[in-house]
Amino acid sequence: MGTDGLLAPEVSDVSKTVPRDTGSGGHGPDRPADAPPVTGRAPRGFWRRSPSRAAGAVLLIGLVVTAALALTCLRLYEANEKRLLDLRVRQLGLVLTAAVPSIQTPLASAAELADATSGSVQKFRAIMAPYVGPGRQYASASLWPLGTRTPRPSVVLGSAPELASRPAQARVFFAHAPRTPQMSVIGILNSAAPTVGYEFNSPISRRGFAAYAESPLQKDRRSKKESDSAFSDLNYVVYLGRSRGQSNLLVTNLQHLPVSGRQASDVVPFGDTVLTLVVTPNGSLGGNFFQSLPWIIAVGGVLISIAAALVTDRLARGRIRAERLAIALDHVASENREMYSEQRTIAQTLQHALLPDSLPRIEGLDVGARYVPAASGIDVGGDWYDVVARGGGKTLLVIGDVSGHGLPAATTMAAIRHATLAYAASDAGPAAILSRLSDYVNGAPHEHFATVLCILVDVNAHRLMAASAGHLPPLLVDGGDARFLDLHPNPPIGVPHVGEFEEIDVEVHGGATLLAFTDGLVERRGEVIDVGLARLRSAAIEVDLALEDLLTRLASQLAPVRHHDDTAIMGVRWRT
Amino acid sequence: MAEVSIDTGMDATGASLVTVRGELDISNVESLSAALEPVLAEDPQGLVFDLSGLEFMDSAGIAVMVFAASQVPRVSLRQPSTTVRRVIEVSGLSHVLPVES
Repeated sequence: MGTDGLLAPEVSDVSKTVPRDTGSGGHGPDRPADAPPVTGRAPRGFWRRSPSRAAGAVLLIGLVVTAALALTCLRLYEANEKRLLDLRVRQLGLVLTAAVPSIQTPLASAAELADATSGSVQKFRAIMAPYVGPGRQYASASLWPLGTRTPRPSVVLGSAPELASRPAQARVFFAHAPRTPQMSVIGILNSAAPTVGYEFNSPISRRGFAAYAESPLQKDRRSKKESDSAFSDLNYVVYLGRSRGQSNLLVTNLQHLPVSGRQASDVVPFGDTVLTLVVTPNGSLGGNFFQSLPWIIAVGGVLISIAAALVTDRLARGRIRAERLAIALDHVASENREMYSEQRTIAQTLQHALLPDSLPRIEGLDVGARYVPAASGIDVGGDWYDVVARGGGKTLLVIGDVSGHGLPAATTMAAIRHATLAYAASDAGPAAILSRLSDYVNGAPHEHFATVLCILVDVNAHRLMAASAGHLPPLLVDGGDARFLDLHPNPPIGVPHVGEFEEIDVEVHGGATLLAFTDGLVERRGEVIDVGLARLRSAAIEVDLALEDLLTRLASQLAPVRHHDDTAIMGVRWRT
Repeated sequence: MAEVSIDTGMDATGASLVTVRGELDISNVESLSAALEPVLAEDPQGLVFDLSGLEFMDSAGIAVMVFAASQVPRVSLRQPSTTVRRVIEVSGLSHVLPVES
């Protein structure tokens, strides 16, 4: 499979994932492109949006921590490398020091033998021959009688000593030599054939012999790198003496001097002088892993920081979306509340508009009414009342209660009330009015029904006729006593009903009071309705008040403080 | 807010049985309407409201039962409390919502 084959799946992968990233901002399930955002602008496309502040902070902290860790690691690595390098240079110094006896011992032996044999040529040749020659320890070995003005070798093995061609240098060198009880070293370095010379003389006599040997150096002082040596991890420079000048350079495996970068040096004794070692690491002494560790930490830390920032960004955006959603829901809830409140206000306005502003004045009869809306009402109720003067001292009282609450109840109430008023305008009695109303309303099944009490008062005749469609009976306060009229409770308006509505005819005395009301005045949770009726009866007879005051007292006393139902109460009193 | 619980099922005679417990008023009457919808959809010949666990009912609750009575040939109430029974009596609904004998 070629490059095309390798690329193909990647390309198709990208084409699958790109719409997902841009469509939903990289979060959550796919959403159709035309779905409206919850609110405001939804961030689209991963890299086009700006990261959240929290994600930026996480990224910054991550990078700072990473940098600190990487730098610490780098410093530890550097310190460790330095320590290892110091250790290595001392090891190399020890190795060099250990080489001194192998240079010195043959010369020391030869010098002593020369002293003992008065400079025997044969003996010197015999003892030094194994050490001299190509590939051996020395290129040249010679025996120099001391105490002469012009030192010359008495015997030479191998090539001619370089020192012999430099009489002045030789004189100085050999003049110093007897005073040093160890090997003397001379570097003949500014020469076409650079050489290091070693001398040893027997310290016993001043006029003895000095055994001298030379080892040539590479002209450029460069040695091959030895990859299999124990010191292959080091580059080194060896100087004769303490100075690190080019003129003192003995040997190095570096092409360019002076040494730069990390380095360590050591000074080791070498005969009557010293060798100065300078080393630099050839690679990492502690191993490649530790060399890479700061970089591993840096790269890993940056990747982890970016990942953490992305996760934070995602969480932060999730929170922002949740907050936006909460605000949107809040908004919807608030709109609902407003709508509900508006609806409630409309229903209340409608109901209040339907209640009479003022009641008609009727000769010989006090008329009054009170309406108490539901206090904590979740809705408005459907109570209403009307007083219609028919003339001739006849007055029709209507009070009703539509089951249910709210706008539908108020609307139903309006329809029933207007129909009742239309029938009330005729000469019909209470039962006939209710009967017509029932026929009018029962055309179709209703989810609401209305209880309606219809009373025709004849002021002058001191009589009243009453009929109820499921409504609570009125209370008649007459002559110091009070009783609920014994009304047959016909079914409410809106409930299928066959047959006539029953009607009663009652005689009353002057000063009698008739109170009609809706169930809000007497109905209590957890109480049989008869208890509420008895309470009303007691309240109505315990005081002797004008009708208006009585209605006010009953409304305030009996309508419960936290009533959920509205209450209407209407009263008439014969003046004579 | 009043608490009400409603169960629907069949009684021994094969009539649909709707058991209403707690307090039923305007604030939760919708739950009774909702529970009745599938019952009425089956067009039952008889419907019994078991009100033995019903402590209070206002006119909104009565209205829902009256509506059910207009849809079903025979509707009766089982063991209504005095409170509930009296509200039905004074509302002139004893014939529409008779108490089971």
